[in-house]
Amino acid sequence: MTDSDAARRDILRAIRENLKPRGIAPRSAEPVQSTADPGPAARGSPPGLRPGSVGPVERASPDAVTRFKAQLAAVGAQCTLACGEPDAARALARILTDAGARRVVGSDAPLVQRLLSTLGHDFVRESLDRLSRDDLFACEAGVTTAQWGIAETGTLVLESARERSRLLSLVPPIHVAVLSTRCICESLGDALDRVRQAASHAITFITGPSRTSDIELTLVVGVHGPQTVHVLLLEDV
Amino acid sequence: MRVSLFVTCLADQLWPAAAVGAVRVLRRMGCDVQFDERQTCCGQPAFNTGYRPEACALARRLIEIFESSGSDAIVSPSGSCTAMLHHYEQLFEDAGWRARARGLAERTHELSSFLVNRLGVEDVGARFAGRLTWHDACHGLRDLKIKDEPRRLLRHVRGAELVELPPPGAETCCGFGGTFSVKYPEISVAILDEKVDAIDRAGVDAVVSGDASCLMQIGGRLSRRGSAVRALHLAEVLAATT
Amino acid sequence: MSFDRDARTALADGQLRGALRHATTLFGERRRAAIADVPDWEDARDRARAIKDETLLHLDRYLEQFVANAEGAGARVHWARDAAQACDIIAGIAERRGARTVVKSKSMASEEIRLNAALAARGIAAVETDLGEYIVQLAGEEPSHIVVPAIHKTKGQIAALFAAKLGMEPSDDVTRLAAAARQALRRRFAEADLGVSGVNFAVAETGTILILENEGNARLTTSLPRTHVALMGIEKVIPRFADLEVFLRLLPRSGTGQALTAYQSLLTGTKRQPVDEGPEELHIVLLDNGRSRMLASPVTRQTLACIRCGACLNACPVYRQIGGHAYGSVYPGPIGAVLTPQLLGMGESAELPYASSLCGACRDVCPVKIDIPAVLLHLRAQTVARRASIGTRALLERLAFSAYAAVMARPRLFEWVMGCARAVHIVPPLGAWTKWRDLRPLAPRSFRDEWRAGLHETEGS
Repeated sequence: MTDSDAARRDILRAIRENLKPRGIAPRSAEPVQSTADPGPAARGSPPGLRPGSVGPVERASPDAVTRFKAQLAAVGAQCTLACGEPDAARALARILTDAGARRVVGSDAPLVQRLLSTLGHDFVRESLDRLSRDDLFACEAGVTTAQWGIAETGTLVLESARERSRLLSLVPPIHVAVLSTRCICESLGDALDRVRQAASHAITFITGPSRTSDIELTLVVGVHGPQTVHVLLLEDV
Repeated sequence: MRVSLFVTCLADQLWPAAAVGAVRVLRRMGCDVQFDERQTCCGQPAFNTGYRPEACALARRLIEIFESSGSDAIVSPSGSCTAMLHHYEQLFEDAGWRARARGLAERTHELSSFLVNRLGVEDVGARFAGRLTWHDACHGLRDLKIKDEPRRLLRHVRGAELVELPPPGAETCCGFGGTFSVKYPEISVAILDEKVDAIDRAGVDAVVSGDASCLMQIGGRLSRRGSAVRALHLAEVLAATT
Repeated sequence: MSFDRDARTALADGQLRGALRHATTLFGERRRAAIADVPDWEDARDRARAIKDETLLHLDRYLEQFVANAEGAGARVHWARDAAQACDIIAGIAERRGARTVVKSKSMASEEIRLNAALAARGIAAVETDLGEYIVQLAGEEPSHIVVPAIHKTKGQIAALFAAKLGMEPSDDVTRLAAAARQALRRRFAEADLGVSGVNFAVAETGTILILENEGNARLTTSLPRTHVALMGIEKVIPRFADLEVFLRLLPRSGTGQALTAYQSLLTGTKRQPVDEGPEELHIVLLDNGRSRMLASPVTRQTLACIRCGACLNACPVYRQIGGHAYGSVYPGPIGAVLTPQLLGMGESAELPYASSLCGACRDVCPVKIDIPAVLLHLRAQTVARRASIGTRALLERLAFSAYAAVMARPRLFEWVMGCARAVHIVPPLGAWTKWRDLRPLAPRSFRDEWRAGLHETEGS
C-alpha cells in the first residue's frame, strides 16, 4: 500500500468517524435527498436542453443576441457583427488592422482557417502546429471560434474537444473569437448543461479581457491573458 | 396588558434612566408594568466569553423568574439582552428546558419592537428638541431584525429631527463586544473612533441607541474627545415630555 | 503567534489602515451593487448552503465519486493527511517529472501547507504568478487578504520593490507596474515544467475541477507546463456539475463585485490525444490537514462550507482596522478566526476566537450563510472548558467569572456589592477601558432603588 493509499484509508475513516452522530438517529446509508436543484440531467429532461432554452439548431432569440452584445460591452470586450463568411472575412481583416496585429495565428477550426486564408500579405499567418513556444508568445493575435456565448454575462465558451483554442485564446495579447449568433444561450445554467454533454477535458469560460486590481485596487486590463477580446458575431445569411 | 420588565443588570446599575424611561413609556401606553426584584443578569457576559455552565445557571434562574410573572409580555430596554433570551434554547440539551426557553423567548420583546409590533404604536407622545442620530446596536439589528421600529418611533417625537449617520453608517459596530472592549481595547477604540467621527460629521445634539452597552462605549469616547454630543437611550427620549 | 502584539503594530501603521479602509469600503460597495442585480440572492444563498451541507454530511461518498471520475478521465489522485505529506507528494511529483521551474497560480491551500518553502528545501524554485501573490513573494511577506494579497502595499512601495528586484525604472504608473510583472512572468510561463494551482470547486459527478481567476495566470499555469498539480482541501467537492451554477452566481459577486471573473477553467482529467493542448499529466492532491475533524459537530462543520470569497473580511470592523497579517496565518478575518484555530489546534491560536466583537456583519454577507459568530462562541466555550489558555490573565478571568456567577445568583448580594461600589465611588480598575474612554459614573440610585422609592406605583405620565 502506498503512502497515498494509506492516507486515503485514514482520511476516509476520519471522515466517517467524525460524521457519526452523537446519540442521535443513525446516519442512513443512502445519500440524503438533496434540497438543491439537481439540474435537468438528474431531473430526467432531454440531455442538454432545458424546456424553453435555446438549442444550436434553432435561431437564438433576438433578445439574447442584444443582451449578449450589451454584456460584452459591459465587460470590456469588443464586438463586430458580420453577415455571412465573406463579410466576416472583411471584418476580420479590419479588426486585425485596427488593432495593429500582423502576426496572427488561427485555430484548427475550419471556419477560422477559411477566414484567415483570405487575409492579404499585410499579415503573417502562423500555424499552431509549427509554432515553437517562444514564437507563440511573439504572436500578436490569436483567432478562434467560440462554441457558445452566454447572453446573461457576455461570456464565451470554448470546448477543447471541439477546437484547439486553449492557448490561442490566452497567449497572444489580442483574441478574436468568431461566434455564431445561433450559439448564444441564455444563462450560465444553460451553458453548463451544454458543455457537460460534450465532456471536453478543458472547458474555458471567457468574460472580457484579462484584468487585475491587485495594486491599490486600481484596474489594469491585460495582465497575463489577452488585453483585447474581440467577438466577431456571425449571423447566417 | 400586563408587562414584566426585564431591566438588564447594565441598565439597572449603570443606566437606570433607560429602565425608568421604559417603565414610563409603557405605562403611558396603558400597560401595567411589573418588576420582579429577583432578576439580576441574563448571563450574556458569561456566554459570550465561553463560560457556558455559568450562563446556563443564570438562564435557568431567569426562566423560572419570568415564568412566574404571570404577564402577557416581558419587555426589555436592551436588544442584546433580549437576543440572549432568544438564544436560551440553544444552551440546553434537555428537551424540557428547551421548551421552556422557547416559551420565554416567544413572550420577550425589546422595547421598540414591543411598542411598534405588539402594541402597534409609533407615536408615544414624546417631546424632545434636538437633532438626533440613531446607532443600530448589533444584536438588536442582526439577531432581532430591529431596524425600522426605533426610527419610526423617533420620527414621531415632537421637536426632534432624526438624521441618518454618515458612513460607515448606523449599522456598523461600535466596537464594544462585551469583554472584547477590554481584552482588545486598542482595536475596540479604533472601531469606535470611526463611529464617533461619523457622529461628529452628522452635526447632532445626541446619538441614540437601544443598548446601554453601546451607549457606554460611544458616550465614553465622545466625552473623552471633548464632544458636546450626548449619548441617550431610546427610552430616555421616548419618555421625555418637555 | 501573537495576535495582540501584531494587531497593535497594524493599528500604528497609518498607511495600512488607510489602505484597508479604502479597500474594504470599495469591496463592500461593489458587492452590494452586484447582488442588487440578483433578485433571488437569498434563495441562491440557501441553495448553496444546502448543497454544502449535503456534501459535508456525505463527504466520504462524494470524495470517492470525485476520485473515481477524475481518475477515469486520466487524472492521478493523491491523498495527504497533513501539510508535510502534501508537500512531500508535490515535491516528489516535481522530482519525478524532472521539473526545474515551477509556476504557481493562487492557492491558499498551498500557503497553508507552506509548499514554496518545502519545494525550496528540495532545490525546486516556485514562482507565484498571481500579481498580488507575486508582489508579496518578492517582498518576502505573507498575503494580507484572500482576494487582494498585496492590499497592504502602496504603488510606491511596489515600485521600489520592482526597481530592486526586477531592475525596473521606478514608476508610480500602475499599468507600467503590471506590465513589468507580466513581462517578467511570461518568461517563466514559457519555461515552466510544472504548474501548481488551487481548486475552487471539484465536481464529484464528473471528476471536474473548476478554477476561477481574472488575470489569466491560472490558465497559463494549467495549460502550458507538461505537468499540472492541483491542490485542494477535501471540502472543495460538490455533488453535481449543475451545482456549479449557483456557486458561480455567488462567489464573484461576493468576492469582487463582478458578475463573473474573466476566466473559469473546467478541467476534467488529461487530454484525450497527445496532440491536444494541455499538460501530459494532471495530479490532484486532496488535503485533510485538520478538516475531517471539523465534521464532528454541526456548528464547526459549517466552517467547511467556506468558498473563500473574502466577503467576510470586507465586512468585518476588526479586519478593517488591523488587516490580515495580525491573524498570523494564511486565512485572515472572520473565517480565519474560526478556521485557523481548528486547523492548527487551539493552543497555537487561542486568541483568535476572542478577536471579534461578535457584531455578525460577516454572517450577513457570507454567501453560504456560515454563522461565524456561532462558531466563535463555540470555540470560546471550548477554550474555557479545556483550560486551553493558561497564564495569569486566564486565571484571573476564571476567578472573575466565578465571582460574577456567585453574585448574580443572589439578588441581595448583587445589590449589596453594587451598593458598596456606589457608596465608596469604587469602579473596577479597568485601565483597559479608562485609558481611552470615560467611565460613566454610577448613578446615585439604581433602577431598583427608583422602583422601590416610588416608581412601582402607577403614576400619571
